[in-house]
Amino acid sequence: MPKSINLHPFTVLALTAAVVTMTTAAGLWWLSCAVLTACALVAGWTGHLRRLAVLSAAILIPTFASLLLIHGLVSQQASGLIAAAGPFRVTVGGLETTMVLGLRTAVLVVAGLLCTLLINKHQLVAAIDLSPAPPQVGYLLAATLFLVPHMAEKQRAIGQAQALRHMGTGRGLSGWFQRVRLRAVPLVLASLQDAHDRSAHLSARGFPAAGSHTRLRSVADSATQQRVRWISLLCAVLGPIAILAPLWGSQ
Amino acid sequence: MSPNLLLPEETSSQVLRRRLLAGAGTLLLIGTYLVLVITQPTGIAEGLGQGVALVTFVAYLAAAVMLLVAVLPDLPVSTLTLIPVALALNIVLGQFVGSVMVPLYLDSIGTVLVGFLAGRRAGAATGVLSTLIWSLFAPTVLPFAAGAALVGFLAGTAARFGALRRPYLAPVAGAVAGVLVGVVSAPVAAFVFGGTSGVGTGAVVAAFRSMGDSLLSAVTKQALISDPGDKAIVFLIAALLIYALPKRLSGSFDFIRRYRVLGQRGTK
Repeated sequence: MPKSINLHPFTVLALTAAVVTMTTAAGLWWLSCAVLTACALVAGWTGHLRRLAVLSAAILIPTFASLLLIHGLVSQQASGLIAAAGPFRVTVGGLETTMVLGLRTAVLVVAGLLCTLLINKHQLVAAIDLSPAPPQVGYLLAATLFLVPHMAEKQRAIGQAQALRHMGTGRGLSGWFQRVRLRAVPLVLASLQDAHDRSAHLSARGFPAAGSHTRLRSVADSATQQRVRWISLLCAVLGPIAILAPLWGSQ
Repeated sequence: MSPNLLLPEETSSQVLRRRLLAGAGTLLLIGTYLVLVITQPTGIAEGLGQGVALVTFVAYLAAAVMLLVAVLPDLPVSTLTLIPVALALNIVLGQFVGSVMVPLYLDSIGTVLVGFLAGRRAGAATGVLSTLIWSLFAPTVLPFAAGAALVGFLAGTAARFGALRRPYLAPVAGAVAGVLVGVVSAPVAAFVFGGTSGVGTGAVVAAFRSMGDSLLSAVTKQALISDPGDKAIVFLIAALLIYALPKRLSGSFDFIRRYRVLGQRGTK
């Protein structure tokens, strides 16, 4: 059973932004590996390790394979040749580039996904509603997070209904197009009709509401967390500048 | 739908502030693109390459968010309720297409639908929001928010200038939009991620690299091969879906009526 952590969603987002920007700016393989290990430890402690591993692998395996093709197998570097055959040139530098770029992407993916797993979606919507962000943002996030599973379920039901009518059972490309048409058209028409009906009700209730308003759900926050958020944001902005400034000076 | 009588009217300073924000976002996007294309930074994996990656990531994302903040308060409620449907359609139809091993993305159908029904500003906002929400599940899409905004913007522009009045015009407009989107998104793929994130597209980039192309040139050529076809199909599917809508529904959008988006089809 995954543990829930009692942090404000913006604190988690700010910490993630600071970690990703500073690790990217540093560009050190051992730092990237340390961050990935730390993410794995946090995920293990909170009970999200398996899910994090599956979601990260789904993104990172094709990414590493692509980088290996682009930089590892057709390297344009002249020195450090390991093997060459026809258009393929494998060099030490090319493999190093693959590893550095792969680790850079891995930090973004793993830290970003961990952030998503740690944040409670309802808390995030409530935090956005209570922030100075336009009130439309909270509505759009909440509505989308509700609609995705609802529409996926509706799409499955439409598919089952079409199968019962023995429609959309063809093979090949034409069968695929027929299946897409038979599922997409009713799904889109019904969803647009729902949205049209909803807009009349929202409009009648004065949406989007301006000014402060009361929410049933409160988001736990503290002065310490606010300080952590400010420090994290400063690190996210000034950290990369501090790391990269000496390089600008030397070039 | 009539304007809401419960909400206060906007002041001219608010309108000016939003226009400035939209202008600044557009300038930031164009400026970053031009700097990257003109300077073509080398050594993307070491030293200042990390800075180039960060600057590209932040500038593209910031430009997209500025455009979103500028556009969002302008959208009527009928468009705001349409956007979550479009975002969910992007995800649900994108997943369905992905699950049947057809080599297409088709993950911007919802964005293009909103562009066609509610105009380019709504389309651009949908593109950015779609990317921001999808990034909760795939963080690598985050810097492509500006490209997604461009898809929605171009869909709205195409609809405004008559791309839906004849069925064959929609895929042509989609192919043109695909070229522009591919060109704008290529620097992100090249300088932030060092190429592409798919094995098939990676193989195409590797083939161009083996012919001596620079990374940006190879990624741009790959985007020019993949994106126009994908966007042509997306624009065609979105157009066919709009033709299938009942007229009382499509006619309820001010954009459709004002610019006679459906031409004769909308008045029959």
